[in-house]
Amino acid sequence: MMLMLASCKKNLPDNRLSIANDSQYTQFLYQPTLGRNTLFTNNFTYGNSSRPLDFKIVNMRTFGGEPAPELTKLLPVKVWKTAYDGTEKSLAEIEAKRVIESHPLFEVRPHSGEFLMWAEANSNMIKAQPDSGYVFDVEMSNTGGRKYFQNFRLRPLRERPYEPSPLDPVTGQGTSTSVSPSGLFISGVRTNQFLSSSDVRVVFNKLPKGLPGYSGHSISFKFVDTLAQVIDPNKFALTDWGNLVHGFNMVKDATKVKFDVAYPIPLTAYPTKYTTTDGGAARVVFRFDRQAFGAVLLHCYLALNFKIYEEGDWEIIFQFKNDKPKFDND
Amino acid sequence: MKLTKSKQNIFPMKYFYSIVILLIFGLQNLALAQQQIAVTGTVYDGESKKKETMPGVSILSSGKVLGQTDGDGRFRVTVASNAEITFKYLSYITQTIKVNNRANINITLQGDNTTLKEVTVTAGYQTKTRTLSTGSVTTISGKDIQGQPASDVMSLLQGKVAGLNIQNNTGAPGFRGSITLRGISNINVSGSGSSSFLTPTSPLFVIDGVPVDDNTNYSYGFQQAGPGVSPISQIPPEDIEEINTLKDAAATALYGSRGAYGVILVTTKRGNSKVPVVRYNGASFFSMVPQLRAVIGGRGERELRIMQILQNDSTYNHAVDLINSSPLLADSLNAYYNNSTDWQSYFYRNTFNQSHNVSVSGGDVAFNYKVGLGAFDETGIQQNTGYSRYNLNMNMQYNPTPKFKLVGQLQNSIQKQQTGSGNGLLNSGLAATGSASTLLPSPSLYSAQSGLLAQLGTDNDNKSLQTFATINAEYEVFKNFRIATFLNYTNGSNTKDNFSPAALNGNQSQYYTYNDRATKLYNRNQFSYVYGLKDAAGEDSHTFNLFAFTEINSSFFKADAILNERGVNDQLRGPLTNMTNYLTSLGGTIDYNDARSVAFAGAFSYNYQQKYVLDLNYRLDANSANGENARYIANPSIALKWNFNKEKFMQNIQWIDYADIRLSYGSNIQPVGGIFDAYGKYVGGDRYNNANSIILDLKRLPNLDLQPTKATTYNAGVDFSLFQNRFSFVFDTYYKQNDNIFRYKDISSANSFETVASNEISNVNYGWEFQTTARPLSPNSAFKWTVSANLAINREILAQLPDGLRDLIYYDKDLGQDIYYRLGTNSLSNYLYNTKGVYSTNAQVPVDPNTGLPYRVGGTDRLNYFKAGDPVFTDLDGNYVLDGNDRVIAGNSQPQVTGGFTSYLQWKNWSLEVNTSFTLIRDIINNPLANQLRNYYLPYASGSLVPLGQLDYWRSAGDVATYGNPLDFLRSRIIDPFRLNQTAFQEDGSYFKLNSVKVYYIFDKKFTSRFGMNRVSINATAANLGFITRYSGPNPENVTSLGRDDSGGYPSPRQFTLGLNIEF
Repeated sequence: MMLMLASCKKNLPDNRLSIANDSQYTQFLYQPTLGRNTLFTNNFTYGNSSRPLDFKIVNMRTFGGEPAPELTKLLPVKVWKTAYDGTEKSLAEIEAKRVIESHPLFEVRPHSGEFLMWAEANSNMIKAQPDSGYVFDVEMSNTGGRKYFQNFRLRPLRERPYEPSPLDPVTGQGTSTSVSPSGLFISGVRTNQFLSSSDVRVVFNKLPKGLPGYSGHSISFKFVDTLAQVIDPNKFALTDWGNLVHGFNMVKDATKVKFDVAYPIPLTAYPTKYTTTDGGAARVVFRFDRQAFGAVLLHCYLALNFKIYEEGDWEIIFQFKNDKPKFDND
Repeated sequence: MKLTKSKQNIFPMKYFYSIVILLIFGLQNLALAQQQIAVTGTVYDGESKKKETMPGVSILSSGKVLGQTDGDGRFRVTVASNAEITFKYLSYITQTIKVNNRANINITLQGDNTTLKEVTVTAGYQTKTRTLSTGSVTTISGKDIQGQPASDVMSLLQGKVAGLNIQNNTGAPGFRGSITLRGISNINVSGSGSSSFLTPTSPLFVIDGVPVDDNTNYSYGFQQAGPGVSPISQIPPEDIEEINTLKDAAATALYGSRGAYGVILVTTKRGNSKVPVVRYNGASFFSMVPQLRAVIGGRGERELRIMQILQNDSTYNHAVDLINSSPLLADSLNAYYNNSTDWQSYFYRNTFNQSHNVSVSGGDVAFNYKVGLGAFDETGIQQNTGYSRYNLNMNMQYNPTPKFKLVGQLQNSIQKQQTGSGNGLLNSGLAATGSASTLLPSPSLYSAQSGLLAQLGTDNDNKSLQTFATINAEYEVFKNFRIATFLNYTNGSNTKDNFSPAALNGNQSQYYTYNDRATKLYNRNQFSYVYGLKDAAGEDSHTFNLFAFTEINSSFFKADAILNERGVNDQLRGPLTNMTNYLTSLGGTIDYNDARSVAFAGAFSYNYQQKYVLDLNYRLDANSANGENARYIANPSIALKWNFNKEKFMQNIQWIDYADIRLSYGSNIQPVGGIFDAYGKYVGGDRYNNANSIILDLKRLPNLDLQPTKATTYNAGVDFSLFQNRFSFVFDTYYKQNDNIFRYKDISSANSFETVASNEISNVNYGWEFQTTARPLSPNSAFKWTVSANLAINREILAQLPDGLRDLIYYDKDLGQDIYYRLGTNSLSNYLYNTKGVYSTNAQVPVDPNTGLPYRVGGTDRLNYFKAGDPVFTDLDGNYVLDGNDRVIAGNSQPQVTGGFTSYLQWKNWSLEVNTSFTLIRDIINNPLANQLRNYYLPYASGSLVPLGQLDYWRSAGDVATYGNPLDFLRSRIIDPFRLNQTAFQEDGSYFKLNSVKVYYIFDKKFTSRFGMNRVSINATAANLGFITRYSGPNPENVTSLGRDDSGGYPSPRQFTLGLNIEF
């Protein structure tokens, strides 16, 4: 009797998943910027295939058809283990949330088909544009079968260690050496007019290794006037120095203000008090009040939204190139 | 023209005289030889405590067979006045008595417990002894379902038949719950949200030999248009003699068309007493509102809301502003908001109800009759609902000679029903109002809760008139060759009038009126022939039985409805429409169905010394709904039975009463779709060239190959009975494959047609059924105790989907509780977010290693990230974003194990009966709990709140909880922690139910005969007493057929009955 039942059951279909024709990649050209973690999302529509699906990059090759071991071999990369939320009290606490793991520099998320590139990829080892880059295929499978998507293009862009950046993404060469601040509400001494953001040059300067006091994880802000004379940061008297950046051990003297920080800045896109409201960039605001003509109180400020991807001792120099800022009351 | 009178006498007078003389002398000669007298009487069964009569007892005189008793145990034979007659019946002690000039002999046969007790089994329009019956049949006696008033008799069968899954999922009077035999036979779901339901696949009901289909028209209640009275509910339980459930194809094969979902035979009582017997069964019963859903009331609700805002808003100032700007919270001294209204209490009430049945029966074997008059009146526990039934059922049997029999039957019923503002099964107004804030004032015309006003103000009146008339004539043409005919006419007429007052409809009242008419003509003509060969010892050895019939069925159904939306005032009711044309009057014929079917069937049965039994059945069915290329469908079946206790090697084993093995294979069909699905439809189109046009309806592509659903069943069974029937056991295992399941399929828009009716779905049910009865006490004990238990395990697997698909999703647009069909697993899987507890601390939230961002829903706003207190939803695709792609197949809304226990204990005049049932391995989605928790999303808005004290929810970091934090209202609107389609609300719906406890007391006959009463008994019954379940809602049975609990459902009342039964 049981035998009869068993033989009947044999004809029943297996409980397995299915692969549908309408499961498709919507993007075949990927151009990550080297030197930063990049995640490509919304690049795949599941269609009617049943989840979970498994994805695998196969046949990673250069545009010329040569194998590309630099993208397939495992390398140590820094990955997040615990969420960063901006409340960490020390560099060690931040670093405890990240660990080093071995990953290929370019990966596909095993079940979602999203691609990601790790910050450790650089143009010394990876063919960056204007090179034609790499070509690869993806295998999608589940218990219902497998499907191949072919000839994806990976064309990395050269590093731009900081944003906003004057560097060209393809050539890595800059057309200028500075950028403008994100916000400015300060009058000039000479003209007594409000300065425009083009009146201020912002220069990102990475200090070379070997300088005295080199730590590799610090950021400092400097202000200079038209004659390259240093402006005392304390002139920006109302600046919330403690919450300027998510940094520690602030050192403020007459020439600069310096913090120990963890890189990249911002650490993640999670919105914190150190970032823009959408979490897209770190935001520093330097403030002071002055009384203008006619007993008007002006809340003056200088603001910059920025990102820095490379570790190091960075200096951000604000140069008032056309006019000195006016700090005194009228 | 003048009639020409025949000059010649056709029948000459001389012949007449000759015949008269011959007759007179002939009879005189006989009379002189031996005084022949007609003897009538009844044979009673000494084995049954209630003196049941015995059909099929052979009556012999001096070795010559005179005949046998009829279906009611009566006989009429003509013998010499001094003859001896012998009554013989298998497994009973043969008795011989002298006639001694008596014209009436009643005799009681005692069982011969050393041999097999024979029980008759009816299946396939034939009655056979249990030994020769090859099918899987379970019989429930009408006595087992007495003492408990019910508007629907099927609800009383719950837990009594293995494999018959009855879920009494509504307490609405006059509606019946869902019935499936051996698993679901259809996977189609209609509707959405709470009112989504599985296409019903009730078994075919055959009432006294006439099929009645319960799946058609508007008899299920979910369809809003009609009143929804089930045809089976017209038979009061008091009128039922027995109910047979036919499960395998060997038993159902001859029911062919419409037998695919199983067959339930209902036999009503007949008159069987020479002296007219008047019976009265009366009961008054009290329906009690069961436990309802818990809510927080009044000040508790306000304080909880204020506390929630103060503790969880972004800033203190914003919180204070939020409280002050919502009067519900701030204006606590305002009479409008200073209340503690228990909204559910306004919908419910306890009710007293009654049921009365009077029947008069009498007659003898030559002519007997029964007239039953019944009244049943139940006021629903929901306001404005109720059901009453008045029925007059008559039957008579005329049996002047053993050769001829005429049975007439007439059943009439008037059923009235009120469903309030809901459709009977569901009431969305109740769902909305029942979950209103308790702070709002109690109902009045000006308070905001229109759901309650609708329930109280809607005037809903439904009537159903049913007439069911049958004539059955049988004639034995020559020995062992009988012909018979059945003719049945059924007429049903239903009306529904629904008046909705102006206050509910923008100051203009609404009036909906519906009427339908259903008629059915059924005719079956059959013959049967038995041929036997005797062996050397003179015993029957080879017996052949041939049975064949033709069946014609013609049914018609038409439903009309009109909706008048602009009533002048509430006093003027009726379809007084002043609309100018058909379209704006919203009326017309909403359903029309005219169907014919014809069938030819034959059955051949052979047995050798009753040891080996072979049954072959074949049936050809044609149905007007089938496509042209699928005209006649053949349904063959074959069954084998081996009564191995009759073998030589078993003859010395005395403690086995009987033992057999059954094997069967066969198929059945069920017509699906309508004639328009097979042949297409023409409709009136726009006027063209100033002429009316008739165009093809492009909604449906005709499918000439449209097939009926076909069920193929393999069954294997074992029956045995031990120790003189003190322990009996039935085991069945089956494999049932349903092919050609109907579904409309969307087709490519390039076809110009939208859909096509297709038959491309298959599913398979297989399972095991156990049914056992034990009488553990000694037969000599003063206590008589019978315990029965049954258990059915059913596995269902989806085997085919249209176009070779492996997966298909039914999208539920209202609640997002989609249903996932996948081959190789149970058909009706829920497609849900997988909840695996609650994040105890922030550190438990997974982090994307690449971006460093925590797991989140949708966008990148600060509030979109999960944190401690949120449910742990599985991220199936591992992209650290929760979306619809992360849902998983979870659960099965259909029960997999059903069964029940029954205990019957008798001591002197007392008896105690306990009925229980259970359903195991079933998943229910607790929508009311989810919705009450969702009310916490908006603390400043109106809505009832579930008391949090009862719930295991997350309070502070480190808590390990079942439910997430309901109080964090800023984020919960984004995170949606209490989304309905998650496994946290999918609960185990297994339950063990105490169906009823009945106590009977029979008064001493000596005492009652002083008052002229023959037999008087009283009973007290408590029904629907409670559950043992892990389900957190009030009632795990009171859910839809898809396992969705809904606050608009009609709860099943507790019922307490006092009954009085008198027999004069």
